[in-house]
Parts: sequence; structure tokens; C-alpha cells
Amino acid sequence: MLDFTEASLKKVLTRYNVALEKAMTPEEAAEELYPKDELIYPIAKAIFEGEEDDVVEGLEAAIDAGKDPINLIDDALMVGMGVVIKLYDEGIIFLPNVMMSADAMLDGIEYCKENSGATPKTKGTVVCHVAEGDVHDIGKNIVTALLRANGFNVVDLGRDVPAEEVLDAVKKEKPIMLTGTALMTTTMYAFKEVNDKLLENGIKIPFACGGGAVNQDFVSQFALGVYGEEAADAPKIADAIIAGTTDITALRDMFHKH
Amino acid sequence: MAAKRYTSMAYANADEMTFGVSKYPVKAGLGLEIGAGYTIPEINYAPRPEAGASKEKLVKEYERITTDIMERMVQVGFPAIILETEHVQQMSNNPSWGAEVAHAQKTIMEKYHDEYGIKCALRHTIGDIRENREFMQLRGDKYSVFLEAFEQCAENGADLLSVESMGGKEIFDYAVLRNDIPGMLYAIGCLGSIDMEMIWTDISKIAKKTGTVSAGDTDCSQANTAMFIGGGLLNKNLAHTIAVIARAISAPRSLVAYEAGAVGPGKDCGYENIIVKAITGMPMTMEGKTSTCAHSDVMGNLVMQCCDCWSNESVEYHGEFGGTTVQCWSETLAYDCALMNTALETKNDKVLRDLMMLSDRYRDPQAYMLAYDNAYRVGQAIVKDGDNIYLRAKNAAVECCKIVEEGAADKLELSRFETKALADAKAALEALPDDMDKFMGDCLTKYKNEVKVFKPENYGL
Repeated sequence: MLDFTEASLKKVLTRYNVALEKAMTPEEAAEELYPKDELIYPIAKAIFEGEEDDVVEGLEAAIDAGKDPINLIDDALMVGMGVVIKLYDEGIIFLPNVMMSADAMLDGIEYCKENSGATPKTKGTVVCHVAEGDVHDIGKNIVTALLRANGFNVVDLGRDVPAEEVLDAVKKEKPIMLTGTALMTTTMYAFKEVNDKLLENGIKIPFACGGGAVNQDFVSQFALGVYGEEAADAPKIADAIIAGTTDITALRDMFHKH
Repeated sequence: MAAKRYTSMAYANADEMTFGVSKYPVKAGLGLEIGAGYTIPEINYAPRPEAGASKEKLVKEYERITTDIMERMVQVGFPAIILETEHVQQMSNNPSWGAEVAHAQKTIMEKYHDEYGIKCALRHTIGDIRENREFMQLRGDKYSVFLEAFEQCAENGADLLSVESMGGKEIFDYAVLRNDIPGMLYAIGCLGSIDMEMIWTDISKIAKKTGTVSAGDTDCSQANTAMFIGGGLLNKNLAHTIAVIARAISAPRSLVAYEAGAVGPGKDCGYENIIVKAITGMPMTMEGKTSTCAHSDVMGNLVMQCCDCWSNESVEYHGEFGGTTVQCWSETLAYDCALMNTALETKNDKVLRDLMMLSDRYRDPQAYMLAYDNAYRVGQAIVKDGDNIYLRAKNAAVECCKIVEEGAADKLELSRFETKALADAKAALEALPDDMDKFMGDCLTKYKNEVKVFKPENYGL
């Protein structure tokens, strides 16, 4: 069978992921970022490792030591998740690590809520849905996990959601942003209907759209549309909104890459 | 009829396989014989979003698409073409829509066949509509509509019947985002195979009744999801050493269609089809560099190595500088086939096969495992325990890990991250039992608890 020599292979392809890999392991990078507080450290580390039971154990110890359960959401759980998100953004860890950490964080938040009468504050509410006629929801599930991991309250309407139901949810929840995902070219047309219904009702929130066949040109055709090429763009758009950029044109300038 | 399991390979060795030639050619449509010594372009397309507004608009859109393709094939002098219509949901949920589209397309194709003698066939890929908003409903009322869509299309012009079925996807979507190898094995290898046996037994009956071809399935919803999430070299969503394991496990799952009566050509986006061809000897459609209109991959030349039909995955119908998209892409596919057919006619097929394979062999672990010599080994691992859907899927995954490890010891470069993900996956596979009942029981308990949309009754469990 034909084969390359080592030298000839390099003229045909380059595995850039190998060539550019960071020297530090994920665990070493995370260790540098954990808070030093001896009660918070094990919680943050358990979040990074995606170990639900260890998260709850750490929270239990911190609460027993006098920490306020609701404050622990921001001071421990979100700090741990912040380490995860930072390393994901830097390309040191991969999405499955984020998903497992997010699962652990949500269990931790539930535990904190159960141990306190108060309701935790979030960065804001985002309503998420999959376009009507479309049942492919893995993209939406990644978006919701990343939004929650970044401290947003997510109202997940699920898949195959009629435009009228999206409108009702937006009216009720008053989100800072709406997201829509679709896999197919035929179902993404439902985004336009959602956009029109929002405008008819005087609602002008950013409507972040993405997914398999969705592209920037299509999303730019409707007034509220902001295209997100990657699921990881969703929390970044939401962060930009709470930082004050609510104008659709300005958001497109920031996030439209093509 | 129980599925007839494969326990041996169709080909005596990997080198026997090449493009355009299969052990069991398939006659279809208007004068075509697939896998009988020549390759055939297979163009796939999607209507513009607004075309789905009514049946009339949709039919008209497909008439335009079909005429454009046939006209371009004749204008440039290509002898054969297959058209693949992947149903938009309206066409499968309303079987009469799909039937009218098939009829309209076939009428145009017949006109060109009669006038110019161009050989052609029409594949209809029914949408897997067996779910409602909350849950998969693989065996409920929607199954009847699903089968009705096949039957009506077959009666009205479709020659090749296919689907991208989704059995196991509810578990897979959960597992793949958590590096859960046993979950992926359960989803694709076990649940997917159980569902495949049911649907392909019924689709094959419809094909027999209507004189059409039961052509095959692809694990698009799972193995391609893994490949898509894995993305390019710099994407950080899934290790490619995990995506390749999903691909290996998808081969015994897609094999079930042929065990339940399908005869090929297998559907384009089944990158696992090279393994399936090695086992069954049936013709396969593949896609690679010509499907960049739909998605990127890291093995664009390599997957062409043993194809019988050559596809573009899908392209939205609209205008380009060189004509409409279907004209541009069908012409590109047809030129690729002209090159492969020239190689066949001049007895240079194995040279061209090896050049295409080698150009991507070390590009990625996914490409490495699918190089025809390694794909053949995965096939051997599958048929070793061909009667046991769990063990053969596990064998495929274990062999895949072994192949990638051997590659890494040679010229396949892996990042430390990919190496660790592979080692973790291998350890997870080694910890699994050999007993299928135990594995199935353990998984049923675990995923009923963890995946709220999992309904075991969908699989008769």
C-alpha cells in the first residue's frame, strides 16, 4: 500500500491542534484559578471535576461553618463554573467537561435553594426554543447549559415550539434575549414569524438564532435577528446585552463574523 | 422475518474493495445498475425555506430542481445520475405531498431518459417523523404515517427508499455531551439496532410489494452528530477520538438494514458505509469533499475510496454564478465520477483509490479508522460476534481504539487531549460486561433515571 515518509506527510497536512497544544494540563490550569478559601476551594474543584456528590458535600460543610446558602451560589458555585468557562473559552477543556460541570452546578444550586428560603439572583432571564416543526434539540440543550453555566436564568420552551407560544413566554418572562435554534432550512423560516409577532406586539429584544442550516445572511433578514455561529456565542451575546449593548445593529457588529 | 445476521465478510481482504464495483450490484430506476463497474453521481438538495408554505409551491420547487439537474447532466455529457430527495417534514407527515413530489420528479426524469437515454434513478429519503414535541414515538401512530409515506412515494416514482432513522438518539444526545462511552454504545449499538430491525423489515416489505429498492439507512442522527460537534481540528466541543468511536459503533447499527432486507446503495452521509460494504458487499453512496456545501469534514478525499455513488450531502436550491446550486454541485460530482470511471476503465482504480485514501489517512483519527484497510478490520471485529448486537458494537469500539492507538504509534499525530480521551474511552470499554442482558439491564436502570425523555417502550423494552 502507498504510504508517506514523515517528511512527505508534512507537505500534505498539518494537525494544528497538536502543533499548538498548550503546555499546561487542564488540571494544572484549573488549580491556578481556584479560590484559596478552604471552604470554597473543594466546591469549586468539585464543580470543575463535575462531581455532584462532592459539590453537595462541600456545600454542606460550608453551610455548617456558617456560610449563607444563597451567597454560596455566587461565591462558590459560580466561581467554580467561572474556572470551567474560562478554560473552555481558552480551548484548554472541551464541551463535555462544561456539560458535566453544569450538571453539578445545577445540583448545587438546588441544594442551596433547599437550604434557604430566599431566591437566588441571576444575571437575567433568557427564553430558549427550537423552531416550530423542528425536533432537533441538541444545539438548544448546549445553549441552555452554557447560559446557565454563565449565571443566566433560562426558560427552556423545548422543541417544535409554535410562534404564538414563544410570544406568550416572552410577554410573561420579560427576558433580556430570546434564542432560537433549528437544524433544517425549512423550519428556520419559523424564526421570521416569531420576529414579526414580537414586533407586532412592540417587543424589541435581541433574538439570537443559530443551528445546522441557519446562516448569518438568513438571520440578518429579520429585524431582531442576531446570528450566533457557535452555541458558546449565546452567553457572550447575553453578557453584551447586560453590559448595555441592546441595539441589534451593534450586536451584529460584535457577533456577525462573515 | 428475523434479521439474518452477518457473521462473515463479503470480501476476502481489504485490497479487493474499490470504487464503482460491489459484490452485489443493484438495478434501479431508468437503466441504472449500481456498483456494477462504474460510479454514479448522486445529487441531493433542499428547497428554499419559503417553498414549504404549500404543497403546490413545494412541488413546483422540486420540478425546477429536477429539470435543472437533468438539463446540466445532458449539457455536459454525463451518462448517469441519481437524484436524492430528502423529505422536508411536510412531505413525510403528509404522505400525499411526498408522493406528488416523487411523481413530478420522475415525470421529468422519464422525459430526459426517453429523449437522451441518460440513465437515472430517484431516491426518496423519508423523514423520521416518529416523535412528538416531548418524546420519541417510534412505535405509535406516527409509525403508520411513516410507512405510508414510504409506500406512497414508492408507488408514485421513487426508485430507492431510504431514511435517516433516529432510534437511540435520546440517549445518544445525553451521552455524547458527557463523554459517556457506554451510553453511546447503548444508544447506537443496542437501541439503534433494535429500531433498525423493526423499520427495515417493514420498509423492505414495501419495496418488494412496489417493485422498488430497499436502499438503506445512515446513522446521521448520532455518528454524524458526533462528527459535527467534533468539528475541525481547533474546535473544542468533542475529542475526535470520541467521535471516531461513535462512528465505529454506528457500523453494526447501519448493517442491520441489510440484515433486514435492504440491498443498497446505502445512504450518502453514512461514513460508516465503508465498513458496511466490506461486510455485505453491497453498493454504497458516500460523500466527502463534495459535501462542503452542507458541512465540513476531515476526510474529504478518503471517503471516496470505495464509493459506488458519490454525493454532495445536501445543498439549498438557489442561484450561483455558475447556475443554480444543484447544477453546480451535480456537475462537480459527475466530474469526480468521470475521473473514477476513467481509472476503472484503464485499470488504474486501485492507484486512484490509494491516492485518495492516503491524502487524508493521517489527517484525523476519524479518517485513519475509515481508511479501507482499517475499516475492514472493524468489519472483521463486528462479524466475529455478528449474532449479538451488543457484543459486535463493543467489538467495533474496542477495535477502533486499537487501530487509533496503533496509528498514534506510527504517523497519526494525536494531541495529548485526544490521547487522554482515547485512553479514558478504552478504560470505559474494558470495564463493560460481556453479557448483553446485564449491560442492557444496567443501562435501562441508569438512563430511565437520568434521561427524562427516554421511553423504553419505544424499543419494546
